[in-house]
Amino acid sequence: MAFDTFDPRMQTVANKVLAYCRQRYGANGLKTEQEIAPEISWRPTIHLRPTRSSIIAVEVADNLFPEALRGAAHEISHYDSPISVYQASSLSAYQSDPKQIRVKLLRKYGFGVIAVDDDGAVTMQHTCISLAQHISSEELDDILRSLNPDLKVRFKDAHTTYLANAGQGLQQAGQIVEAMVMCIGKQAANRNVITEAKAKGTVADVIDALYPTSTFRDHRAALGGAREFTKEFRNIASHPQKSAKQAADKIKKCKTGFLDAINVASKLRQAVQQLGYKVQIHIT
Amino acid sequence: MLLLTIPSALNIWGVEGTRNVERNGVDLFGAIMSNLQPYLKDISPDRIQRNPDNPRLFFRPEEMDTLMASIRKYGIQVPIVVFEEKDDYILIDGERRWRCALKLNIRRIPALIQQKPSPLQNLLLMFNIHALREQWDYLTIANKLPDVVELFKQENDREPNETELGEITGLTRGQIRRCRFLLDLPRKYKELLHEELSLPKHTQKLSEDFFIEMERALKTVQARVPGAVQDPNTARDALIQKFRGGVIGNITDFRKLSKIATSIKNIGVKEAKARSAIADILNPRTKTSITEVYAEQFEMRYDERKVSITIDSIYEFLEEAAAGDPGVIVGDDLKAKLLKLKQLIDKVLRS
Repeated sequence: MAFDTFDPRMQTVANKVLAYCRQRYGANGLKTEQEIAPEISWRPTIHLRPTRSSIIAVEVADNLFPEALRGAAHEISHYDSPISVYQASSLSAYQSDPKQIRVKLLRKYGFGVIAVDDDGAVTMQHTCISLAQHISSEELDDILRSLNPDLKVRFKDAHTTYLANAGQGLQQAGQIVEAMVMCIGKQAANRNVITEAKAKGTVADVIDALYPTSTFRDHRAALGGAREFTKEFRNIASHPQKSAKQAADKIKKCKTGFLDAINVASKLRQAVQQLGYKVQIHIT
Repeated sequence: MLLLTIPSALNIWGVEGTRNVERNGVDLFGAIMSNLQPYLKDISPDRIQRNPDNPRLFFRPEEMDTLMASIRKYGIQVPIVVFEEKDDYILIDGERRWRCALKLNIRRIPALIQQKPSPLQNLLLMFNIHALREQWDYLTIANKLPDVVELFKQENDREPNETELGEITGLTRGQIRRCRFLLDLPRKYKELLHEELSLPKHTQKLSEDFFIEMERALKTVQARVPGAVQDPNTARDALIQKFRGGVIGNITDFRKLSKIATSIKNIGVKEAKARSAIADILNPRTKTSITEVYAEQFEMRYDERKVSITIDSIYEFLEEAAAGDPGVIVGDDLKAKLLKLKQLIDKVLRS
C-alpha cells in the first residue's frame, strides 16, 4: 500500500497531493516512493514525468526543508533530466513555520511548496523551476551588486523571463551584453577610436574593432569575455534539444550563460567607467 | 556525530551482559528468548517489511532528520534486526534506520537475520531493545502492554505480576505505572493524545506527561475527597480547556491539585474548604488556576508544616547537644547560625 509509512494524517496529505499532481501534470511515469535514479540519494514520495525531458518530484513531510531534500539537492541539480522538486506539507505545518524561515530556505534552494489544509484542499504556495535551472534571488542580488541601477533592473527583468523559460531569459541577458558592446562602440566611434562603419557592424565586428586599439588595451579581458559569451550563448539559446539529457544540458548551460552575462556586463561597466564613457543601452 | 548505538539485540542474545532481570536466580527473559540465533547479511531495504506488531506509533520528523544526516554521512553502522518470512524479511529492530535507508535510496544495508520468533518473543524483543536504548512514547507502550500480558497468559496460564512484567519488558515499575495512567484513559482522550503526538513537536500542546500528571492528580482527588469529581470526563475537559487557554501554565501544577486534595489529612484543612477549592478549579466557566488557589489558600499551611518539621529536627538535635551527647558537636559556624536564629526568633515572638 502506498504511503504506509506515514501516519493517517500524513497519508491524507500524500493522497491529496497525489490526486493534485495527477490532475495538474497527468500520470505519465507516475511513481510513489520509488527512486528517480540510482545516482540520486533520495526517493521522493511522488514523482512523474509530465514531458519527455522533465521530472516533477514531491517530498511529503511536515518538517519543512527536511534532510532528504537538503542532502540530495546537489545530485538532483546535476541529474540528466531537469527535476523540479516540491515539498508538500499540511497547511498547519506551513503556517507554523516561525517567520517562514524554513519556507524561505526551501525557496532559496529552488524548491516549491505545496500545502494541504484540513479539508483536503491543495494549494500551490510557491511554484518552482528545475533545480538545475534555479538561480536564487539572493544569489542574483549578490552578483548584480557591481552593476548600476539601470542594468540591475534589466537583468532582474531577464531573470523573471529566465524563471519561466531559461532559453529566453538567457537571450534577454545576452541582448543586454550586446547593447552594452554596441553602446561602447558608438562612443568609441564618436571619439575616433574606431570608425563609424565598424561601430555599426555586428557585435563581434565591434569587439574585433575595439580589441586592438590602444584605448582598450587595459580592457581586452572584458572585450574577450564579451566576445566569447556572445558566441557561446547564441548556440545555447537557439539549438533545439533532441533528448532529456540534451534538455538538461541546455538548462545547465543556460544557467551558466545567464550568470556569465552578468559577469561580462560587470566587467564592461568597469571599462566604461574607467574610459569615462556612459552606459546608455537600448534594446528593441 | 555518529548517532547509532550498539544494537541492544546483541545484549539480548547475551553478547553483552547488561541486562539485570534475574530474580531468584532465574532469567525469565533469557528463558523465553533462548532459541533465537542470528547471522549477519547485507540485504536490500526493498525486501524488508514493517513488523505489524511494532508498537512504535510515532516517528518524530526532527529525530528522523538527524538520523538521516548521520546515515548519509557515515552509512548504517549498526545492523538492523529482521527475521525471514517467505522471500522477504520482517523488521524486529531498526525501523527508523530502514526508513532512512529507503528515503536515501541506499541499495543494501547490514542486517542481523534470525529465526522467526514466537508472537511473545517478537513483542518482547522490541520492548527490550527500546528499554535498553531509546525509549518509546508511553502511549506506544501502553497500547501494547495488554498484548504482552495476554501472550504471557497464553504461555504461562496466568497473568504476570508487575515485577514480572518489568522483567520481561525491560521497563521499570514506575514506567509501567505511568503507562497504566494512559492505558486507563477513556478512548476519546487516547485519540486526542494520539493526534497531538503525531503533530510536529513545536505545534504539540498536550503531551503524555500532561495526561499522566492530570490523571495522577484526578485519582488523588477522587481517593481523598470522594464526590469532588462527579464526572471525570467533565473534569478532564475543564482541565484541558484551562491548560490550552493558559490558565494552567504548567503540567506540574497538577501536583498542587493533589496537595490540595491531601491537605485534609496532611495539614488539617477542613474538607469543605478543599472541596470548594477543587470545585472552583474544575469549573470550566471560571478562570481559576490551580496555582492561584493553592497560593491563596494552601501554600502557607504547607509552609507552616514544613517549618514545623524543620524546627522539630533542630529541637531534637539541640536536645541531644544539651544532654552532652558526645556524638553531637556544635561547631563555631553552627553556633553563629543558631545565635542569629535565636535573635530572629526573639524578634518574631516580640512582634
